[in-house]
Amino acid sequence: MTAVEVRNLTKRFGRFTAVDRISFSVGQGEILGFLGPNGAGKTTTIKMILGLLEPSGGRITILGRDARRDRNEVKRAIGYMSQQFSLYPLLTVSENVEFFSGISGLKRPEIRARRAELEAELGNGLSRLQVRALPPGIRQKAALFVSLVADPELVFLDEPTSGVDPLARRAFWHAIYGLREKGKTILVTTHNLDEAEYADRILVLHRGAVVLDGRPRALLEERGAESVEQLFREAIGGET
Amino acid sequence: MRLFYLVKKETLEVVRQRELLALMFIAPLIQIIILGYVITTDVRNIPVAVVDLEQGRVSRAVTERLVRSPLFRVRRVSYRDEDAEEMLRRGEVSAVIVFRDPDAPGRFAWKLPQVRVHLDGVDANSSQIAAGYFNGLIRDVLAREVKRAGAEMPLEARPLVRYNPRLRSINFMGPGIVALLLTVLSMFITSFSFVREREQQTMDTLLLSRLRPLEIYAGKALPAVVVGLVDMVLGIAVVIFWFGIPVRGNLLHLFPAALLYLAAILSYALIISTVVSNQMQALFFTWFSFILFMLLSGFFTPLESIRARAPALMILTDINPLRYLIKIIREIFLKGNGPAFFWRDLAALAGIALALTSLSLLNFKRFISR
Amino acid sequence: MRRLRAVMAKEFFHLLRDPRSLAIVFAMPLVQIFIFGYAISFDLEEIPMAAVDFSRSEPSAALLRVFARSGEFDLKPLEGEGGLDDAERALLSGAVKQVVVIPADYAERIREGRTAEVGLLIDGSDSNIAARVFQHSEILLQRHGTRILGAEEVLRIGTRVYFNPESQSVFFFVPGLVAVILLMISALITSSSIARERELGSVELLFISPLRSAEIIVGKTLPYVLVALAVGGFILLFSHFWFGVPVRGNLLLLLLFALLYVLAGVSFGILVSTVAPTQRTAMLGSLLATLLPSILLSGFIFPLDSLSPVLRSLSLAIPATHFLRIIRGVVVKGAELRHFMTEGLFLAGLCVLLLALAAAKFTGLRRRRR
Repeated sequence: MTAVEVRNLTKRFGRFTAVDRISFSVGQGEILGFLGPNGAGKTTTIKMILGLLEPSGGRITILGRDARRDRNEVKRAIGYMSQQFSLYPLLTVSENVEFFSGISGLKRPEIRARRAELEAELGNGLSRLQVRALPPGIRQKAALFVSLVADPELVFLDEPTSGVDPLARRAFWHAIYGLREKGKTILVTTHNLDEAEYADRILVLHRGAVVLDGRPRALLEERGAESVEQLFREAIGGET
Repeated sequence: MRLFYLVKKETLEVVRQRELLALMFIAPLIQIIILGYVITTDVRNIPVAVVDLEQGRVSRAVTERLVRSPLFRVRRVSYRDEDAEEMLRRGEVSAVIVFRDPDAPGRFAWKLPQVRVHLDGVDANSSQIAAGYFNGLIRDVLAREVKRAGAEMPLEARPLVRYNPRLRSINFMGPGIVALLLTVLSMFITSFSFVREREQQTMDTLLLSRLRPLEIYAGKALPAVVVGLVDMVLGIAVVIFWFGIPVRGNLLHLFPAALLYLAAILSYALIISTVVSNQMQALFFTWFSFILFMLLSGFFTPLESIRARAPALMILTDINPLRYLIKIIREIFLKGNGPAFFWRDLAALAGIALALTSLSLLNFKRFISR
Repeated sequence: MRRLRAVMAKEFFHLLRDPRSLAIVFAMPLVQIFIFGYAISFDLEEIPMAAVDFSRSEPSAALLRVFARSGEFDLKPLEGEGGLDDAERALLSGAVKQVVVIPADYAERIREGRTAEVGLLIDGSDSNIAARVFQHSEILLQRHGTRILGAEEVLRIGTRVYFNPESQSVFFFVPGLVAVILLMISALITSSSIARERELGSVELLFISPLRSAEIIVGKTLPYVLVALAVGGFILLFSHFWFGVPVRGNLLLLLLFALLYVLAGVSFGILVSTVAPTQRTAMLGSLLATLLPSILLSGFIFPLDSLSPVLRSLSLAIPATHFLRIIRGVVVKGAELRHFMTEGLFLAGLCVLLLALAAAKFTGLRRRRR
């Protein structure tokens, strides 16, 4: 079963069409890299898939269910890490975990277990610091952890590595591979084109339309390009 | 259950911002104290000047009464002809009383001067009150003159002021001020909290969770309600113990009214926060709404004059929750009345609260599934 | 100069591209003026009252007619038998604010030339109007009494109201409103906008730029100064054409003082923004520290003379107090510069002081960043 199936998805804001009848699918256990310049429509698309934005047209199917009709069931299977990490700055990481676990419906023993896991991963001292005091690398780790508290099958990561140093980025992708091994499906949007090679498949959007869709290696061979960046530039015709 | 975590998070966020705590609890108390000293409908120390061209017994008696009265402050007594208008324009006095010789010997044995009172009309309120005081004072003196001449003033007023014999305006204004402060603070906190969540973009994650819109709504509104009620209790305590106002009725009757009132204005604040796009707009909108609520509540100016002058605007007072709260406060504190007397106002409050809460909930749902 | 213009341009665009903010800033005061103009009045109008007439004679009926005919009162019949108990109940329920009680021997006393006591039961819980209800009733009684004596000519007190012959409250409020709006825009928006930049961190860019601190301050605040003056002028014009509020004095003079006043407000806004950690705190802080005192202690609503000496001296430190005297004088009274030497000096002095403080704090903040 495909994890996500998108057919003719469209979003219009007044006269401006942000997303223009795009179609793609994501297989279960796949890591999809979502690329594109700013304003291409990546975030809009993700928001529509997540149900945060009403599409102007098209169909979205998540794990076999219609994303609009069965929104509540679908929500249960999704984990989301937003662009700004969306952790509450005044709370500690541990308290953030408690909060998000709680509102996802986890019971108290489960919540306690999660917090223990967090402490094991981050180290006791860090998990008790307020988020605003943490450096971006740790914040990113924490945000990823939080998005996974409900053990979702589908994970959406919106620009998770922005502002993070290359080493931390590597560690991050390591973690993502770990998720895939657990059978999760992951969608990652990113600006960093070299990260694209980490993904199983990439999808490139430009001005609301799909311009590239496929496995990175295969695409590179097909088009005789040497890097994803080159692919990318050719795909968008040299504009930025 | 999920709601509990939301409320806990909101509380943590507030508690970890010390200046916010100060603003929410300490500042209002200070404000109430200051306000208590300032807000008064009692007008005193009105600066006046006397121009006495007659210099008879009556004019001297009046002048002396003016000097001794705490209501007035006589800044000048002149025995030459002065330009009253210029004096008023300069702004050193709000009123000039001019005594002249009687223009014609009347058929009566009294020798009473011509009295003219010149008032600075810019402050319509004070000048009218001043005019009222003068009338009372001057006629008092004149009445004594009449008596001296063997006649008697036919009518004398015997006033009996009920519920607030010394007419201390603080007795009523005090709890009213608490209501006002309750309003401003709760409205600000609520509308800010929503706008801030939007600006921080953490709203998305809330929406994606299993929380239902009603739960998100309640989770944000509940802390504001709690703060509002705590502030109210503190404020009323201050007003009672610091200013010593009497409480004739049962204070517990105030709580249902306060809860309904808070529900109403917080829903209103939430609607505002979905309409504006940033915190500054939220501030302005909330502030101006507050002023409107205040003006149309019967707190400063009587509702009867609105009815008389602009009946079309009465409908605004009918839907103004503050109006009913003020009335209930008055009834409880000063008249000692119970719900039997103000059940209608309570019902009106309940109706408004219900309407506003449903409206804001619907609006919220629509807003998040944009 | 060019750098300065760049900063100003950015602020202007920010403002202009936010039509909602502009709308709120211009529309809200307008709504307020409407309400002030049409609904708010300190006059007594149609205050409900009742009468218990134990005399039931022609003279007592004549007295009651006096009350019934006055525009200030609305004489209503009592429920039930119309005795004292019913009267007290009507007072308690708030159906009437006053009950006139005419004693049984009223007619005889009048005939015999003796004094008759007329009882006035007044609802003191409505402290807004209780005093005035009493005063006005007293006036009616005294007038009627002199009429009975036939001595109206002699016991007449002429009253003349200057600058505002119809005692319209709008004349009083509009200048005050202008002062408040000017302050709101200059202090609140300035502090909020700077605090926001601090919160976002974009203020760092300004700090490390080659701009001098003075240039940053001027560049950021000038647009708001202009907007404030524009809105103020707009309100004045509107009130003039719609409500007939006079604009009699020297407008250039007013503009000069308004500028000083707005500069003082802006300085205060800057001061607040340097100490407030978040935008919300800056806004609430400005509100509490500038707006509330300016409204309460400046003479905007509550007469200065009625304040205790401590508060009165405090009010001298508030720019709004002085500006209010000036604008009321210039607008309604047509006063000139020589009338305002003291106020002008105070205003200028406060302005300079605040500017210096703000500049010092701002540069200090900048230096510490390096």
